[in-house]
Formats: sequence, structure tokens, C-alpha cells
Amino acid sequence: MDIVLIGQMAAAAMFGAALYTIIGIAPGTDETAVLAPVTLVLVISGLEPILVLTFFIAAIVAKKLTDSIPVAVAGIPGGVMSAPMVEHAMILKKYGKPDVSIRKMASGSVIGTIISVPLSLLLATALVPLADVIEQYSSQIFFLGAIFLALMTKNRWFAVLSIVPFAFIIQGLRNLYWELDIVPEDTTVFTSFFLGITIGPVILKLFELLNGSIRKSLPRYGTKTIEMRRTKAEKGFPNPFKILDKHETISSAISSVFGVLTFFMSPVGMTIFLGEMVASRIKDPVKRAARAISSMDGLTNAAYLSGTLVPLIAIGYPLSPTALGPGHALFNAPPVYTYEHNLHHILSMNDFVVATVIGSVIAIGLTFFITIKYAQQICAFVFKYIPHEAMLGLFFGLVMMLAYMDAGALNIAGVLLIGLVAGFLHRKGVNYGVQFMTLYAAPWLVGLIF
Amino acid sequence: MSAEDKKENIEVWEDLVHIKDLTISLAICSVTSLGGYLIAPDSQQPLIYGLIGAVSGFIISTIIVTPKRNFSYTDEE
Repeated sequence: MDIVLIGQMAAAAMFGAALYTIIGIAPGTDETAVLAPVTLVLVISGLEPILVLTFFIAAIVAKKLTDSIPVAVAGIPGGVMSAPMVEHAMILKKYGKPDVSIRKMASGSVIGTIISVPLSLLLATALVPLADVIEQYSSQIFFLGAIFLALMTKNRWFAVLSIVPFAFIIQGLRNLYWELDIVPEDTTVFTSFFLGITIGPVILKLFELLNGSIRKSLPRYGTKTIEMRRTKAEKGFPNPFKILDKHETISSAISSVFGVLTFFMSPVGMTIFLGEMVASRIKDPVKRAARAISSMDGLTNAAYLSGTLVPLIAIGYPLSPTALGPGHALFNAPPVYTYEHNLHHILSMNDFVVATVIGSVIAIGLTFFITIKYAQQICAFVFKYIPHEAMLGLFFGLVMMLAYMDAGALNIAGVLLIGLVAGFLHRKGVNYGVQFMTLYAAPWLVGLIF
Repeated sequence: MSAEDKKENIEVWEDLVHIKDLTISLAICSVTSLGGYLIAPDSQQPLIYGLIGAVSGFIISTIIVTPKRNFSYTDEE
């Protein structure tokens, strides 16, 4: 590997880290919505495969680091995977410590990255012989995952029973699109349904606002008063091991290991499950919240990296929610990559290691520094100048556009339908994890019954 | 500003919004995002235009809508 290529990789990593540091801060930026299109464009433009991978790794690490900011300052998930952290971040926000949330989450992210890079590479190597079997049973694995996550929720029988009907709605819409020739028979509408589920709770709420009597009965508020304590600026380069206390470091590390091992599960579901588990025994609300968010962020970051790397290195099929969503272009982006010819086939193990290490190290160096140093200024700026309405508008607009892109004007109605159902299920306690797994398993599940 | 005194804001997704402002923002962002996608020239990546539209919609909404928060620093500690 020559110096020029390494230089290009460093440049790709810096570009990815810088771009997604900015994008990550914007609230409501769904990982799939912001990562998949840009990666796709780079792939189609003919950028060298190893540079695409370096860019992608830097981008996800940076995105995961900064998407804790909107959670901490506004309680709006900076992406699907930070949704489970909202509750805990809100507690810290209530105690006037949104900047503490940011520091703890970012440090958890760093630990997740440090753990998951070597572990994912090892796991991928170990899984190579099993690749054929896993690939063959991917739908079944997703289905069992959905049932497992459903059983973990509070309202478990409702969640379990919702799986099949929800899969029917998804497949029903897809079949309708095929029948009406809106999309070709071999295309499965995915991204926009995924986003429909993500934005479901908001769509349901917006529809309710159309109902006069519900609107009148909603509690009304004046403005929200937010006070933030001015903290001293960090001196020197921030050290994640100093920001987290010993317990937080250990539980972030353990969660990260789980995140890697369960790469094929919905990271959102695992985050909720493990995050609640590590935090549930702590009494002090501030400490509990800090422990939960640092561990959750470690886990999501680890799950994200392993969810991309393990299927990419071991299997070559997008066999994890991360690979199916944000990383899909690395597997399938015709005409450049297909399932028979993608990064899995093109890059050597050595290439994977170098690209991953360069991408993640540069992203951590750049983004962690910015996030920690300027957390408070960033918070203040967002609070003062960015209205919540604009964030909701941005997210809504993106979903509408991607719906149109996937399957034309009719799909806007389709995505609204998915959103309404998903929002209703969500309100009844069926979490994102169960819904995403159902989305992945839907073609197989419906095929099984008929 | 008078809207704030009258307690007209409601909570959507963990923060306060004013229904009228929300409607305006949703409309602007939907129009700019979809519009950007639709006006893209044939040979170009329409997605890029759509994303630019989405971001412009966000910026426009940010300018015309006031955040429903009172922000201040406390200097103790």
C-alpha cells in the first residue's frame, strides 16, 4: 500500500468526518436518510472502493458522536439509534446538564469504537465459514429477532401479535406497487418504509392535530425556560476515560461487546434492552441517566460498526439492519456494485483493516475534539436559534421526498399509512426494534403463509 | 410574541411548537424537498437537488419561525 493511497484515505476520512460532524448535529437526521444517499453517490461516481469504505467508516463514527447533541439539547433523536437515549438525556436536561449528556455520550461512543473495531474484524473472520448458512436463513433470523424483542417489551403479547399484521401491511403495499407497475417486480421498496416507521410517532401526532376535539384537549404551554450552567472550557485534548467514571467506562465497554456480538439484531432494540439493564439498579436519577446514555452510545456505535463490517467482510450480503439501511450502497449499488461483486469481493482483509483504522481514528480525533470542546456553545446556538418546528419540517420533508423517490406519488400515501400504523404500535409499546425486524422479515413471513 | 403569553404551544416530540408555525414549516420543507427533487435536470442526481431543497426549507423555516424557548445561562458554580 503506497503513501499516495494512504494520503487519499486520510483525505476521504477527513471529508467524511467533517461532513457528518455537521450533519450529525442537525436533529432528526436519520442515519439511513443521510448516509445512504451520499455513499451511493460516491460509489456511483466511481470512487475507489477502499476510499468509499474509509469515508463510510469515518462518516458513521462522526455521525454517532455528534448525533448525541440534539438528543441532549432538544430531546430529539439525532438518528433512529439515539431514540432510546431520549428519556435519559431528558433527565439530565431537566437538571440543567445537557452538556454533561453530550460529554458522556461522546465518550461512550469512543469506547464503543475502540472496542468494536478489533472485535468486529475478529468476529468477521470467525464467521466466514458460517456465512452460507447465515445468509440462507437471514429472514428467519430477523423474524426470531422480532419475536425475541417483542417478548422483551412491557406489552409483550400485543407486540408479538402485531408482527404478522404489520408484515402484511408492508407486503401488501409492495404488492400493490408491483401490480400497478409503479416499481419493477424485482425492486423491493425499503428505505421509505423504514423512514415511515421512524417518523411514525410524529405522523400519528400530526394527524391527531387535525382532529378538533383532540386538539382542544391537548395541554397548552407558554414558552420553555431553559437554563444552562456555564462550565469551564476543557483544557487540552479531552480524554474519554476521564470524562466517564470507572463504572460508566466498564458498562460502556461491556455494552459495546454485546453490540458487536448482536450485530444482526436491531441496534435500537438491543440499546433499549441493555441500556435499561445496566441502569435499572441505580437510584440517583442523574447517575442512572449518565450511566445509561454512555452505555447506550457505546453500544449503538459498536453495533453500527460491527453491523457494517461483519456482513461486509464475512458474508457479502447486507445481513444486519445497519448494512440494510445506511450501508446498503456498499453491498448493492448497480451498476457499480452488485451482490456478486461488491466490497466483500474486491477488498482484501488487509484493505478492510487499514480503511477501518484510518477512518475511525481520524473521525474520533476530529469529531470527538469538536464535540467535547464546543458542546456548550453548540447547545446554546441550537436552543436560541433553531426552532423545533424547522427540525420537524426538515425530517418530514426528507421523508416525503424519499417516499416519492422510492415509488412515486402514491408512495407518499403509503409511507403515511406505514407511519400511522407504526406510530400507533409505538404508542402501545411496540418499539422500533420489533418494527424494523418485522420490516426485514416481511417478504419471507408473508411468503410462508401463502 | 403575544402567542407565547397566551399559552398556545403544544408538545410534539419532546419540545414545544405552535400549531400554525408547525404547519408553515411542514409545508415549506415538503415543498422545497419534493420541489428540488422534481426540478432536477434529467441527467443529474435528483437526490442531491432534493437534499439541497430540504436544507433550504430548513433554513427558511429557521428564519421565519421563532423557537419557543427562553434560553439563558446561569453563572453560578
